[in-house]
Order: sequence, then structure tokens, then C-alpha cells
Amino acid sequence: MTHGHLWDRLAEAKTRLDPVQSKYRVLFEDPATPDEPAKVLVPDPNFMAAALEGDILPPIETYQRDRSVPDGQPKEHPYAEPIGAMTEEEAIEYLVQKDIDPSVWRDYQGNRTILKIVPVEMVPSDRSFRNAWRIVQ
Amino acid sequence: MSTLEVSNLNDGTTTVATTFVTNGSAKAWVNWTGTGTVAIKDSLNTSSITDDGTGIYTINYSSSFANIGYALSLAGKETSGSTHGSNVDRLFHPSRVPYETGLTKVTSVNLTGATRDLEDCTSATHGDLA
Repeated sequence: MTHGHLWDRLAEAKTRLDPVQSKYRVLFEDPATPDEPAKVLVPDPNFMAAALEGDILPPIETYQRDRSVPDGQPKEHPYAEPIGAMTEEEAIEYLVQKDIDPSVWRDYQGNRTILKIVPVEMVPSDRSFRNAWRIVQ
Repeated sequence: MSTLEVSNLNDGTTTVATTFVTNGSAKAWVNWTGTGTVAIKDSLNTSSITDDGTGIYTINYSSSFANIGYALSLAGKETSGSTHGSNVDRLFHPSRVPYETGLTKVTSVNLTGATRDLEDCTSATHGDLA
């Protein structure tokens, strides 16, 4: 059976899966812009539902290979064979590799911790000191 | 799930190809709360949003666009404490930030041009998928 296009699978999944609000957020700093505040990656509830369901999302390696595909050239991830169900923790690690630049999670050679996966309640909701946020070492 | 396979749609007068309809639909959209701890309320083809700082967000797509020639529609608003015309908050794509096929960076500013968080933020992207 053909697995079709990723977008078709995502659209179909949205019609039958309840969204899943993750209990995690990913805090990270960009080593290229050390003066900027820490960034917060917020997982999408429909994406999380698809990840936990399985047979919808492509292998993470396809996204990584597609990073080097020039604009307008065919990409691998939309038509790749989907992978099985993930745990919530595996889905977060998948998102880190997909949506955060490798210079943060793979290539950084410094001594500081610049990426942390934390429970959502650990992210301050008060934005008064938003620009002072730094990842605790 | 059953599948209806049709090449054209006819309303009794006019016939259009089904691709006319599918190509015209938004290939990605997202509605999120931009204040406090950012939260995504609903979406299609969005994997995450990154809160990059006050009034600065990155929308990450699950299925990338074929090229950067997509069309972006953005709207943001306060849900309380403001009346029509009293505040001019805007959500837009920063002019000096290049488009990318797998993500879009957006920012919200107030009347003076300073970045600020908006309570309700929405984005819809039309274009060809990779």
C-alpha cells in the first residue's frame, strides 16, 4: 500500500486524532547570538498526536538530509516511508533534531549547557524579565 | 475511511478541476497564544513554534514547502483591554529575514515599532508543497 504524501497523512490524522499538549518545552540558546534571550520550542499538539500514533511522520534522517537540498529541488521527507509510534520523550527528541539548528544540539563544542528539555511549568510565564532568561548551568 | 476519486467538480454551470480546490487550500496554518508561556491552540502541518524572544516567533512546518514563493497571511490581536483604533499592533514577516521552505519567522510590534507579545496570533500559508 502506498503511504502517499506526508501532508495527506497529517490532514487525515487531524480528522481522527485528539491533539496532545506536551508536558515538555525545549529551552535553548543560539551560540551564534549569545546576547539574545533563551528560546523556547513549543511542540504542536497535532504533531505530537501524529508522533504518538505512528505511521504518519517520516524518519528524522530525511529532514536532516533535506537541509542540504537546494530550494526548489525535490525533498525526501514528504514521500519517505513513515516510522512507527514514538513515546512523548522520543517525539521531543525528534523535534529537537528537526526544528532546532544542528549548531545547537549537535555541533556546539563549548562548555556551557545551551539546550535543556524541561517540564512546561518550569518555563516562567511572567515576561517582565523575558530578555534576562538564561539556561541555568 | 472511504475515498472519493473525482477529477472535476461541477455546480451545474461551472466545472473546475479538483486540483483547483486542493491547490487553493492553505497548506499550513496555526493559531497560538503569544503571551506568557506560548501555547498552540490549533494547527495544520505545523510541528512547533519557537518563542525566540519578546514578539518574535518561528513557525516550523511538518511538511516543507517546495520553494520560498509561498504566500503568508498573518493576524494578531489583543483579546482584552483594547478597543478598535486604540492600539495598532501588527504581526508580520520581518523584511530583512529571508523566507525558508521549512519555517517562517514572524514578529509582532506595537504602534512605535517595538516588539511586543500578542495574545492571539494566527498564520496561514498558501503555496506548493515539496
